[in-house]
Amino acid sequence: MNCLEFHRQKLADPRRLSTEAQAHVHGCASCTAFARSVDETEHGLEHALATPVPDGLADRIILRSRTPNRARRVWALAASVALAAPFAIVFLGKSGRPRDDYARLAIEHVVMEPESFTTERNADAGAFGALVESAGGTLRAPLGTLRYIRLCPLEDGTCWHIVLDTPDGLATLIIVPGRTLSAMQVASTGGWSALARPTPRGYYAVVTTSSQATSRLDRLISERIEWNA
Amino acid sequence: MRAYSADLYRYAWWLCRDRHLAEDLVQEAFARGWTAWAGLRDLSQAKAWLITILRNEYARGITRKQIEMCKDELTEADMPAMPSFEAGLETAQIVALLPETYREPLLLQVLGGFSCAEIAAMIGTSEGAVMTRLTRARQTLRQHYADAGKRRMAK
Repeated sequence: MNCLEFHRQKLADPRRLSTEAQAHVHGCASCTAFARSVDETEHGLEHALATPVPDGLADRIILRSRTPNRARRVWALAASVALAAPFAIVFLGKSGRPRDDYARLAIEHVVMEPESFTTERNADAGAFGALVESAGGTLRAPLGTLRYIRLCPLEDGTCWHIVLDTPDGLATLIIVPGRTLSAMQVASTGGWSALARPTPRGYYAVVTTSSQATSRLDRLISERIEWNA
Repeated sequence: MRAYSADLYRYAWWLCRDRHLAEDLVQEAFARGWTAWAGLRDLSQAKAWLITILRNEYARGITRKQIEMCKDELTEADMPAMPSFEAGLETAQIVALLPETYREPLLLQVLGGFSCAEIAAMIGTSEGAVMTRLTRARQTLRQHYADAGKRRMAK
């Protein structure tokens, strides 16, 4: 086995090296270094992919499997959608899209990612400044203590999900590049208050637990981030 | 079931990146698995079997089509562009940006612990094609780390 073949085998399956590969690496210093570096990357990869498993997952699955009639559940769901449809049509209005959908979308996103409030992740001021810059802004002063930064899927694109510790408590800032928002939107649902505001290269949304806190953070953003046209 | 639920959930989450949907997929995979349990000849293959059910369920119910796995020979141009500000951010985000054809075998190997041959059988391709995809997926990740390191040195 030569070094090239070893590299290929190590990259294809780092944990299952053939006898030939193991013999090669013992006698080759450069492949030993390469193997160590691949193992380090692999360790980071394992850590990154270990998505937290919700508490009680197995119990919930067993419980649901004991529900006597799955078909009945499906019909109940269908019925609830059918009953909700007329209200949804009224809500959506003539345009087919509600006027606050981006603000509501931000609330939904926060609700779907509760670990953002309990996890510290990429809380790096430099990274935050860089992503604000990528969205067409310049950060003049901190908005609060950074706790969480993550690139998340949002509809058919991505957004930056940021959680800040502010004097009003934890607040979420969502920066969405490449989406057009013509005017400010506000939404309030389920104890959450959101505001979405256009930027030259997309929009941002602020989500907190009160309209006052949302307004205060929005004001702070307008004071401390300069959006370049 | 308890032995496999966490691995199945993590795999499902990486397929759809939605915790509720992932839980539903796991639920459905177990429900189908229980129904067809008699058809499982080798109990040591139970995890691979359940993962395959889950994958098919995802393809059937969510995308309404088979997951696209036919591109064996991708060029570097098929790789997603990495915005410079991502350099210091996480591996998970880079994995999320990998093409599906690279990401899926990587998830099956890292999360499921499957060999190239097992992955090939699960996704219906050759062992050689799986090895190529895994090699390229890891090369992409390593390239990302190298670029991030250079940028940090330059600052």
